[in-house]
Amino acid sequence: MRWFFLILAIASITLALALGPRGTKFSSPPFMLFPDMDNQYKLKAQKPSFFFADGQGARPPVEGTVPLGLGAPLGDEAGSSRLDYSRGDSYYSTGLFGDFYGKGFPEELTMDEAFLERGRERYQITCTPCHGTSGNGAGIVSKYWAMPPTANLVDARVKEMPEGQIFWTITHGKGLMGPYNGVLPVEDRWAVTAYLRALQAAADN
Amino acid sequence: MGNIFPRWTNLLPFKILACLGVLGVCVIAVAWYSFTPKYTRVGYMPQQPIPFDHSLHAGQLGMDCRYCHTHVENSPHSNIPAAQVCWNCHGPGKVKADSPKLEPLRAAMDENYEGYTGQPIEWVQIHKVPEYAHFNHMAHVNRGVSCVECHGRVDEMPVVYHAKPLSMSFCLECHRAPEDKLRPLDQITNLAWKADDLDPEAFYAYVAGKTEASVDELKKGDAGKPWSRELIGSHLRQAWGIHPPQDCAACHY
Repeated sequence: MRWFFLILAIASITLALALGPRGTKFSSPPFMLFPDMDNQYKLKAQKPSFFFADGQGARPPVEGTVPLGLGAPLGDEAGSSRLDYSRGDSYYSTGLFGDFYGKGFPEELTMDEAFLERGRERYQITCTPCHGTSGNGAGIVSKYWAMPPTANLVDARVKEMPEGQIFWTITHGKGLMGPYNGVLPVEDRWAVTAYLRALQAAADN
Repeated sequence: MGNIFPRWTNLLPFKILACLGVLGVCVIAVAWYSFTPKYTRVGYMPQQPIPFDHSLHAGQLGMDCRYCHTHVENSPHSNIPAAQVCWNCHGPGKVKADSPKLEPLRAAMDENYEGYTGQPIEWVQIHKVPEYAHFNHMAHVNRGVSCVECHGRVDEMPVVYHAKPLSMSFCLECHRAPEDKLRPLDQITNLAWKADDLDPEAFYAYVAGKTEASVDELKKGDAGKPWSRELIGSHLRQAWGIHPPQDCAACHY
């Protein structure tokens, strides 16, 4: 009996030391006691799938189809971005009238305080890291890293830009700026454009 | 007839019982302590293909969670950003473009890179509920439950690890009493937010606008109560009409 307790104590201490207390950091996949149905053979968001030849669960839209809730590919004008976050070729979706940048906001939008507030929120999430809270191009990135100068959004050049061109630039990027069409839905891009106009007006005073 | 069993065996059954009893207690103790997500999942810190530092991006630089996790507000699934989002800042000529740590990104994005594959970066999933349960991000972040309640202070983690158990009892605890987990919607991604950051006057005005009670009535009802997460949450719960479901089909569908 004495031996039994001795062995039990040694075994417990070894086990406890080897496995550690709750919250110990580890990098191997978590141990599952009952793995039944924890991992199912279904298609999951952003997960691989053995069903498709290339192993990717996320599929690009089949050519000529329009994904529900997302827009159609814009065709050649969209360049490399296959899945655009836009639908159709109206001014609302492209910022263009034919080959020209449009001026003013599309009639599909209701310009009110909530819309501007939405624009402020999205601007602060998406644009401030580079362009800064006030739009002057002095975002946090320029404080830590030497980068070619970021566009000052409240100077005369951008002020005179038609709304359609600002929308188009957010959609497709320009220079070093990447396209934000997969990040900002169409309406949010217009909201950011509207908020930018407010920032410019504020910079004047 | 002599004794078949010598005298020392008299106590043997009791000794065996005692040993088995102690062994049983030990097994139960081990199971109680470690057969739970509090033990098996908390602390999971896998190595990622790129050592992305959340404490730098979300903490020091102050970037919003939603710069990268763009669809968390309108999708059940909070997305891992596409490589394009990383590329916005770490593309050619931009921040740390030549860092060897970013090689998987260049393999995914840079057509001029020798190791270019065009394949997505294979990030390792850390937080995961069993696939017979469903967690809807959109339903939570649009109703005042911050990222921090389930993911911990990611903005302070150089390497992200599993901070909360995400077990069924963890979910149910909050669904039974969500008050101290609710916050104003504009503070959802402010992981450091605390009750003192909220201006009581503006808050009471907001709640009064959402409910039938006036600001004075609300203040009168709160007289003597400390300004706390529970107090704020109880008002928000009423203002937004939050009734977290506790039936099975709420999550298991």
